[in-house]
Amino acid sequence: MAEKIKILYLDDEMDNLTGFKATLRLDYQVYTAVNVPTALEHLVKHPDIRVIFCDQRMPGKTGVEFFEELRGTHPLPMRILLTGYTDIDSVIDSINRGNIFRFVKKPWIEAELVSAIEEANKFYQANSMLAIKNDELQRAYSELDKFAYSVSHDIRGPLSGILGAINVARDMHDIAEMREMLFLMEKSLKKLDTYILSMHDYYSLQRGELHIGEVDFQKMVEEFKDIYRTAASTAQINFKVNINQREPFRSDTVPLKLVLNNLLSNAFKYQNKNTDAKVVELNIEVNKGAAVITVSDTGIGILGNHLGEIFNLFYRASSQEAGSGFGLYNVKSALLKLNGQIEVNSVLNKGTTFKVIIPSK
Amino acid sequence: MELSFIIIDDTELDHFIARKMIGNVNAAYTVKSFMDAGLALQHIISHKHDSAIKVVLVFLDIHMPMMNGFEFVEAFEKLEQAIQDKYYIVALTSSIEVSDINRIASYSSFRTRITKPITADGLKSLLNTVAAEFGISLT
Repeated sequence: MAEKIKILYLDDEMDNLTGFKATLRLDYQVYTAVNVPTALEHLVKHPDIRVIFCDQRMPGKTGVEFFEELRGTHPLPMRILLTGYTDIDSVIDSINRGNIFRFVKKPWIEAELVSAIEEANKFYQANSMLAIKNDELQRAYSELDKFAYSVSHDIRGPLSGILGAINVARDMHDIAEMREMLFLMEKSLKKLDTYILSMHDYYSLQRGELHIGEVDFQKMVEEFKDIYRTAASTAQINFKVNINQREPFRSDTVPLKLVLNNLLSNAFKYQNKNTDAKVVELNIEVNKGAAVITVSDTGIGILGNHLGEIFNLFYRASSQEAGSGFGLYNVKSALLKLNGQIEVNSVLNKGTTFKVIIPSK
Repeated sequence: MELSFIIIDDTELDHFIARKMIGNVNAAYTVKSFMDAGLALQHIISHKHDSAIKVVLVFLDIHMPMMNGFEFVEAFEKLEQAIQDKYYIVALTSSIEVSDINRIASYSSFRTRITKPITADGLKSLLNTVAAEFGISLT
C-alpha cells in the first residue's frame, strides 16, 4: 500500500484532538497540535502534510487567521475549517481570507471528514502535478532557447563553411588544394553529423523509457574495442581494459552504452599530442549491487575553472578538437536516468579520469 | 604591404576559405591564423609590427570554446590605445541570432560584421572601406 496521507489537526481542546486521531489514524498519518506553534513545528518537520484541519474558535488566534498566515508560509496543504457555529460573516471571512477548501461542521460525522480528506487530497495531487509539469515546461523552454541559439551556430556554421568552400572552388584549379579543401569540408560535415546524432541521443534520453535487462560488461566492451581499434592504432594510443564483473548486473544498456561511448570517445579525442605513451584505460568493477566504471586518459586535461561547467549543455572546454557541447551533458542525463553518479579528476596536460557509479536495478 | 590579416576561428575550413579569399585579392598579403582567441590576443600584445603595416584586419569568429569573440574584444579594449589603433576588427560569424548581432553592434571595437560565408564581393567592399580610412593603396 502507498504511504498514508499526512494530515494535521489544530484545536485547543485536547478531547477533540484525541477523538479525531482515534477515528482517522488507521487510514491516515495524523498529526495533532493543541496550539499554533506546535502546528507550525509539524508543518516544518513534515512539509508533505497534505490536509490541515483547524478549529475556528481558539484563544489568541482564530482558525481563519491561522489559515490566512499559512497561505503565505505553507501554501501547499489544503485547508479545512472545523467550526461549531456558522454565522455568515465567519463563512465569508474563512473563504475570502483563509481561502479554505471546505467547511466541516462540529460535531463532525466520520464520513464527512473522510470525504473532505479524499477530495482535498485529489486537489492537492492535481496541484502538485501541475507544479511538476510547470517545472518541466520551464526547463524544456530554457533548453529550447539554447537549441534555437545553437542551431544558428552548430548547424548553420558547418553549412556556411561548405557554401563558402563551394564559392572558393569556382576559382580553384589546383587539384591538391582542392583535395585539402574537400578534406576540411568532410571534417565540417562530420561535425554536423555528430551534432545531429547527439541531438537525437539527447532527445531519446529526455523522452525514452527505461528498458531494464541483464548487462554483460565483457560483451559490451568487446563492441567498444572494435569501435576504437582504428582510433587506437592510428593515433598510437594504448587502450587498456580491465573488467571484473563478479555478479549479474541489471540496467538499461542504451543509456549505459551512451555513457561509456561518450567518455571513451572524449578520452581518445582529447589526447595530448605531445605525450609519447598515450593511454586510454577503462576499468569496470561490478560488486555489491553497483558498477564502478573509470575512464582515464593521458590527455590534455581540463582547467580547474572549467570543471564545474563541463556537464552543461553546449559547454566546450577545449578548442583542440571539434566538440558539439552535447557529450557530457548527455552523459549526465543518462546517469540521471540510471540513478548513477559521476565525478571527474583532471590535471592539465596530464590527463583526466571520470569515475561513474551505477546501481544495479 | 600596408595591410595584413589575422583570422581567429575554431573551424579549419573557415580559415581555409578566408585565406583563399584574401589570397585571391592579393597573394602577397600576410595572413595569420589562430584557432584559439587567447593565443591571438597574446600575439597582438607581443607582436612588433613591420613599420610599413598601417592596419591589421582581424576576422573574428564569435562562437568559440574557451575565449569567445566577445571575451576577446573585451580583453582587446583594455590594451594600450596605440595597439588598438593598429587593428580593425570584423566580426565574421555564421550567427543570425538577433541577440548576437545586437551585442556585436554594442562594442565599438567591432568595426563591422560579416555573415559567413564571406564572399569575394563582400571582402572587396570591406577592403575598399579600410583602404579609404587608412589611406592604403590596394593595388
